[in-house]
Amino acid sequence: MAYSPLLQDLLEALRCLPGVGPRTAQRMAFRLLEQERDGGRRLIAAMQKALDEIAECGQCRMLSETELCWICSAPRRDASTVCVVESPADVIAVEDSASYNGHYFVLMGRLSPLDGVGPEELGLHLLEARMDSGDVQELIIATSATVEGEATAGYLASLAHQRNIQPTRIAHGVPLGGELEFVDSSTLSLAISGRLSLRED
Amino acid sequence: MANPTRVELEPAWVLHTRQYRETSMMLEVFTPGSGRIGLVARGARRPKSPLRALLRPFEPLVISWSGRGDLATLQKAERTGPGVTLRDAGLAAGFYANELLIRLLERRDPHPLLFAHYSALLEELARPERIESGLRNFEIALLRELGFGLNLGYSAQDHAPLDEDQNYEYQLERGVVPVAMEIGGLVFKGSVLLAIDAGNWTELETRRAAKRLLRYTLDYYLEGRELKTRKVYTAMLSSRPSSD
Ligand SMILES: [Zn+2]
Repeated sequence: MAYSPLLQDLLEALRCLPGVGPRTAQRMAFRLLEQERDGGRRLIAAMQKALDEIAECGQCRMLSETELCWICSAPRRDASTVCVVESPADVIAVEDSASYNGHYFVLMGRLSPLDGVGPEELGLHLLEARMDSGDVQELIIATSATVEGEATAGYLASLAHQRNIQPTRIAHGVPLGGELEFVDSSTLSLAISGRLSLRED
Repeated sequence: MANPTRVELEPAWVLHTRQYRETSMMLEVFTPGSGRIGLVARGARRPKSPLRALLRPFEPLVISWSGRGDLATLQKAERTGPGVTLRDAGLAAGFYANELLIRLLERRDPHPLLFAHYSALLEELARPERIESGLRNFEIALLRELGFGLNLGYSAQDHAPLDEDQNYEYQLERGVVPVAMEIGGLVFKGSVLLAIDAGNWTELETRRAAKRLLRYTLDYYLEGRELKTRKVYTAMLSSRPSSD
């Protein structure tokens, strides 16, 4: 390869980012070195600070630089409802939907028996402690529509039932603007089994 | 180097999936004609890929693939029926069966009979009261298909049919031999062994004995490799309310 050793190191380091292959890494590195040296320094500083200071929220496991994240410590949010998701990105997705005002619990994964990921690996004792505190009335299960997500949902539901907490599962169905004939049959069958009755208002 | 292969429209069950690169998936698949195979499904994790909904465990598929060596490339996959919906203990048992196949089957050993047994098992796992007996039948079929049959119907000593009231000791890779008295270990009554051999699971004593005997035998052929699903399964079941 025609790169100097330092450049080679930089290219390899950049490739730890998702979506960055050799060509993208090269474009990024040249941009930084040719035109964005100040921007690059800001990037390093921000990255350094974030890596040093961001950990998991002590209550919900969301990424946070404070002991309690901004969601858990927001005074106007409903702490009696906890929505369980698989990743921090899922929290952001639900937040962006602007349809939810409760708390979260982030699993940082899902039960995957064949990969040896069980309840312990998902930090579920934290969630159990939360449910044992008596503040939680509803557990909204928003795990992925995979068999592992299904296994996780079943397990979480049993934890909730044991404590007389209502478990609910987010609905799976037809995407907005989607026409039925293009929806795959598994999704459609979930949509039909989870149908809602239409009430007169 | 192995010859390039191309297989068209083979029935298949996905046993396990893993992420592969940015947008692809690595699959462990079980088929009747090619046994357990590893496949790469290119682009299967792209948001709009129709394969996302298909390439899941417990979906009945027909697939086409091509390639050489250990890892071939999936060309096409279609669902052949509505599939089974597994929940809770049934789902955990399904993961366990998948792990057994992944650990115990050599790649590319054809197993048409075992494929039929596995398909039948999944139907059983959808019915909570059939999970345990379904698993035992499957474990017994799996050992037999691997050439490690339990040989419970007759004495390994003299090939005489079992006496219902006699005690027998189960010995690995041999079968059962009569023993004078119940000395612990893997000693069972003839009537219990005959019930296991016949797949008659009505008696609790038979089910308990079969579970013990099969666990011991499977552990032996697993050669010390711990089953990950067993650990998670136990943790999952221990949290379940007893009323449920
Ligand atoms: Zn939090």
